Amino acid sequence: MKQEISVLMDGELFEDEAGSLLNRIEHGSELHRDWEIYHLIGDVLRQPDHIHSDLSAKVRERMRDEPTVLAPRVHAVKQKMRTFALSAAASLSAVGVVAWMSMQISPEAAPNMAMQQNVARPVNVKIQPKSNDYLMAHQEFSPSTDMNGGASYIRTVSYRPDEK
Amino acid sequence: MADREVDQQLVERVQRGDKHAFDLLVSKYQRKLGRLISRFVRDPAEAEDVTQDAFIKAYRALPGFRGESAFYTWLYRIGINTAKNHLLANKRRTPTNTPFDAEEAESFEDAGLLREVNTPENELMSKQVVDVVQASLQQLPEDLRSALTLREIEGLSYEEIASVMNCPIGTVRSRIFRAREAVAENLRPLLETSKGNRW
Repeated sequence: MKQEISVLMDGELFEDEAGSLLNRIEHGSELHRDWEIYHLIGDVLRQPDHIHSDLSAKVRERMRDEPTVLAPRVHAVKQKMRTFALSAAASLSAVGVVAWMSMQISPEAAPNMAMQQNVARPVNVKIQPKSNDYLMAHQEFSPSTDMNGGASYIRTVSYRPDEK
Repeated sequence: MADREVDQQLVERVQRGDKHAFDLLVSKYQRKLGRLISRFVRDPAEAEDVTQDAFIKAYRALPGFRGESAFYTWLYRIGINTAKNHLLANKRRTPTNTPFDAEEAESFEDAGLLREVNTPENELMSKQVVDVVQASLQQLPEDLRSALTLREIEGLSYEEIASVMNCPIGTVRSRIFRAREAVAENLRPLLETSKGNRW
């Protein structure tokens, strides 16, 4: 445990281990004391001319009168930002893919495809003679026009201003 | 987990209402902050009070700390402002004519001036603490002493120390811990016998 404290204060402990260790240091007086002494040793080695008694007890005493501070959780804000960023990235990727796919269909390719579609295939359908009259009579209701069936609902009318 | 991230994790705990986490930050930064404040406030007793004030102000301001800068940079800024306000309140001039920022404060070296900070009753104790640490360091085997010195004084990472000492990172980790613990073993009896102030 002490070795973990030593590694933690050097910034070399893994994050998942650090969380539980900090809990134990906070609430274990012996471990807390080790944390203080290891930092004291470091301070003495770096600045031997400025070593004073521990102020943390005095600060702690004064903090008893202080209200507990609470702040919005930074993690939650970060998480929301991350979610937003991921959503935006996914949307941009989708738009990019669609754009890329549309670029793959070159302007020259489209007429070819149309031409291919226009190649007449011989269809050998025998129409019963009885059906001819029926089809002729109902031809105007047939949706098989270039206007995709819209023509069947169009009526042509004309109007002359001099007629009353 | 880098040192700055450890601080950030402690800060987030305080922001969630955990006062104990602030204790760890005080233990870690009290001497660095005290050393900085003593540059402005020469009287040792006043410097200690101002250091405590700075920590309390930092605690009150912590809900607004978003981690955009390192915690210690933010803390040092509060320390400098607290010291300057203290001098203004007492109508004394800041003992420096040049601008003084937190980063400059970190590299500040002025041993003669700093000696004035310790109160007379603490002077002997601080000298003993320094003597025990330095004597313990000298008694350490060479590999332990080098590892601890490279870490604490030169500020090298474990990877860099491993490269310098030509050994695995796990060995560096172990050597630094054993060195610290050996020094701490010699220090504990002295710290426990000190009356009044805790060290």
